[in-house]
Amino acid sequence: MRAHAPARLARAKVAVGELSAVEPDLLSFAWEAIVGEGPDQGAALEIDWRPGRQYCPTCRADKRQGEGSWMRICLDCGAPLQIEGGTELDVIEIELVPAGEENPG
Amino acid sequence: MSFTVDVRRRALAANDAEAEQLRRRFAGERTLVTNLISSPGSGKTTLLEATARRLAGRATAAVIEGDVATELDAERLRAAGLPAYQILTGGACHLDARQIGKALTAAAFPRVDLLFIENVGNLICPTTYDLGEDFKVALLSVAEGSDKPFKYPAIFARAEVTVVTKVDLLPHVRFDLPAVERQVLSLNPSATLLRTSSATGEGIDAWCDLLLERAARKRA
Repeated sequence: MRAHAPARLARAKVAVGELSAVEPDLLSFAWEAIVGEGPDQGAALEIDWRPGRQYCPTCRADKRQGEGSWMRICLDCGAPLQIEGGTELDVIEIELVPAGEENPG
Repeated sequence: MSFTVDVRRRALAANDAEAEQLRRRFAGERTLVTNLISSPGSGKTTLLEATARRLAGRATAAVIEGDVATELDAERLRAAGLPAYQILTGGACHLDARQIGKALTAAAFPRVDLLFIENVGNLICPTTYDLGEDFKVALLSVAEGSDKPFKYPAIFARAEVTVVTKVDLLPHVRFDLPAVERQVLSLNPSATLLRTSSATGEGIDAWCDLLLERAARKRA
């Protein structure tokens, strides 16, 4: 029941995949604007950047093609790549400070 | 002392849950649903007008239209013989699943074989929102330039079908059609590529055949 007590948000951690079409800098800017000078002023946004894995089943090798690449074919052999992960846009956890208590640190 | 709450929830979980409800509903009604996404002016509404003419008597269809303002598109499609409901987003750049649910309630369409959702003209934001569709369709007109798939990769990677529209204009514009198709296939190796002209009717049969085939598969 503790989560329902009055509390201030100290930190939120989100996972952002490189293929989520979300830009961390823009997300941080939006976060600052939303948190603003309201009751959660100063709350931190922690972004856990998640690259995807690009694997070529023909070459039997990872084929990393550069940050944020949407390329789905192997540039060496032309086969379709298998993409794993990188699409996350998840709220992982939030850290709360009960009302009236200081934020540690 | 501070304490941490484990959330582990997709930011789009609420939309995804609504989209799943829509998907179950469409499965129950055996309605094939397509989500049409493109930049403004690429010919979504005009393709649907041509589609309505070609499918008349062969399949029933309805349209949900998304626009920032005006009922113009819904009026055009009603004039083409399709029941159409206009969602006005008032400035928002995409449709979400809840808007589709509300629109279906308000529109009270009869059961149809095909439901087209014409998204707000935008190659970016609509890409992220699942509307319970069977598949997304990306449109790209030849007047927009050959670099668009690589400049807006997400939609072309996520759309099962890419339709290159206005191919009747090819003699008048610089547009490298094979290069564009290679770009799309490199972003989405299993994409279906179509070339259409709503003005001349080129490719409209192939587009309609694809819809009818997929609708039949969903009814089976």
